[in-house]
Amino acid sequence: MRALRRIWLLTVTAISSIPQRLGTSAVIVISITAVTGVLVAMLALGQGLRELARADVRADQAVVLSAEAESAVQSSLPKTILSSISDKPGIKRGSRGEPEIFGAAFMYMDVVSRESRRSPVSFYFVTPGFWDIDSGARIVEGRNVRPGLRELVVSDVIRRRFRRMNVGDQVRIRGTSWQIVGVFDSKSLQDWVIGDADTMLAAFPRSTFNTVNVIVESPAAFATFKQAVINDPTLAATVMTQAESNDAVLRPQRELFDFISYVLGGLMGLGAACGALACLYASVDARTREIGTLRAIGFGNVSVVISVLAEGMLLAIPAALLGAGIDWYLFNGHVVVAQEITFPMAVTGRLALISVLWSLGIALIGGILPSIRAGRLPIAVALKAS
Amino acid sequence: MKFIPLVWAAIRRKPSRSVLVFAQVIVAFALFGALQGVTSGVNRAIAAARADRLYVASKLDQRGALPISMLESLKTIPGVRDVAFRYQFYSTYQRPEQGVPICATDPDSFLTVYGPARVDPASAQSAMRQVQDGAIVGLGTMRKYGWRVGQRVTLQSKLKRMDGSGNWTFEIVGTWGSPRQSGPQPELLIANYDYVNQSLPEGPGRDTFKFAVLRIDDPAHAAQVKEMIDSKFENSPNETLTQSEKDQAEVNLRRLGDLNTVAHRIVGATFFVLLFATGALMMQSIRERTPEIGVLKTLGFSDRRVMTLILVETLVLYLAGAAIGLWLGVLLLPVARESIGNISVPSSVFALGFACAVALALAGGGVAAWRGLRLRVADALANR
Repeated sequence: MRALRRIWLLTVTAISSIPQRLGTSAVIVISITAVTGVLVAMLALGQGLRELARADVRADQAVVLSAEAESAVQSSLPKTILSSISDKPGIKRGSRGEPEIFGAAFMYMDVVSRESRRSPVSFYFVTPGFWDIDSGARIVEGRNVRPGLRELVVSDVIRRRFRRMNVGDQVRIRGTSWQIVGVFDSKSLQDWVIGDADTMLAAFPRSTFNTVNVIVESPAAFATFKQAVINDPTLAATVMTQAESNDAVLRPQRELFDFISYVLGGLMGLGAACGALACLYASVDARTREIGTLRAIGFGNVSVVISVLAEGMLLAIPAALLGAGIDWYLFNGHVVVAQEITFPMAVTGRLALISVLWSLGIALIGGILPSIRAGRLPIAVALKAS
Repeated sequence: MKFIPLVWAAIRRKPSRSVLVFAQVIVAFALFGALQGVTSGVNRAIAAARADRLYVASKLDQRGALPISMLESLKTIPGVRDVAFRYQFYSTYQRPEQGVPICATDPDSFLTVYGPARVDPASAQSAMRQVQDGAIVGLGTMRKYGWRVGQRVTLQSKLKRMDGSGNWTFEIVGTWGSPRQSGPQPELLIANYDYVNQSLPEGPGRDTFKFAVLRIDDPAHAAQVKEMIDSKFENSPNETLTQSEKDQAEVNLRRLGDLNTVAHRIVGATFFVLLFATGALMMQSIRERTPEIGVLKTLGFSDRRVMTLILVETLVLYLAGAAIGLWLGVLLLPVARESIGNISVPSSVFALGFACAVALALAGGGVAAWRGLRLRVADALANR
């Protein structure tokens, strides 16, 4: 207890003399703020993708893909598969005995944005079953598409980002004209345009879905359904949970972003640790006489070592929170388009925690050598320092 | 020249501080080199991509299957010199994370279109005609897994063979490496299309390819040829999307988002911190050395000369640090190559790096040098 009290007293002494060493202390704060600022801003990209993959995921939704596909993007299933899958066991059925199932096909097409740039937009064509299940998507303006008609509903993000994407506008897709009849709101499909799959497959020379999605009776029935699909050689299909499927689509990008974030954060952290090292050395030098006096009146060298480390860490934590806070203010919810995916960046508590840990690491690496030097200063020499 | 020992003595006065400033400069410029290297490399790769090579893929299906019978009609399009095709699938070697991309094609036309590719041994191309399950493997993959010519390798793929297994065995008959930056990846394993196609189960996957690669007579006609191909197949079951290699490189490499802005912001933040940190350390150094500066001035050094000495001291640390940092940054680039592809760093990055180093040194050392300039001898000697 007394030892803790001593460390506390020494740390308070060190902190209270910071105003006299404003320059070097500010270097520690500014460099750690910059490092964690860059680290968190980059990690917010990966975190945004993580949140996107988790948005509106249902534990009881199974996604059927073609057997060799790594993800829904590469998957291709003939449209006749819908009826063969409907018979499989484990699928939840509605009041009239109809299975809760829908087929989905994606397409990417260039659309002209408000800044007159062409950029790809994802078109998601679904069979009517999609609207019977609770996918988190709901119409907020206009009305839903009608089967058999060339109609589309757009998300609010798309409507704001692109020209001529309002209710009543016509979109030309490969020589055919489609009418926008409504706007929908959804967390997971926020950069999509939705249309009717049967109409699309009839309009274009394409006869495949990317995925077939079913709602299973219970999360436990998932395994039954999966086995039934995999064991049917005529289907040549495999099954994932919705969470797995979303993750498979977004994982490569997320891993890339996280990798780049940590490489950058690590390099910048190394530089900041050198800076902190130099500054804490300077701080120990400036306080040589003070430390000598404290040692002379009986403070042990361990408490001196810990107080120097604590000084660095007490500067590091607010700096890390400042960096993460600036990122939160600038980037949280900021919508970015990277790798053809539109998603909001997410600055979360997890990232703030990572930034604090990162800064503590920097302060620790930077603090060890100076603190040992402070602890080993011979009292007689220290007292004579100018 | 005779002041070199003075500068050196100043740097060595407190070695630990100099080393730490030096380390910070190195790290900052390693970041600069890597980031600026990636962005300039990407821009250069786009500029170097061939405009006379066109890629024809299916417009409708994401997986892009087109019937092999289409190749004949592609050959009849005016302006098209050579036609090759690629049926691509992904496989892994022994472990799931060891990927090998496989390209089933007609090796002769493939190597013509991507020429001049170095095939080693030279007889490998004719050997491919004899050995049905032969393969010419990119040098990248050969080195990565330590394969030798003559070896038989079994790869696992999610693409199933007729017998239901996903094991594909090839005999390596040679290696290939393209001296150019552009073209197919250096990891590609080239296999005989006939062998792969005949191993596939009956069904829609057979007798198809993923995209055709055309070499045209004149890059200036690329737009016309593209238009001719796409309109020819419009409204057919196999609508096409034709892009030049340049378009593709641009789309692929720009997919990372706005790389330039991100890189500039990070480099900006790094340099700001560097400027601040080294500036503060230099100030502290001057404060400690105040009496010594007083001695120099007493000995007859002019104010201007004292200022120059301090600036030169900062410049030496910065320039040496920048040189090492840029070199390290470029060494880091192969790590990025996995995700961005083969890129190289133009020399302008180095020029810009050294220019930044000089500017930062003058700004960071400037404040300290100014203090040295203003010091009055009597005050300095008394360390006031």
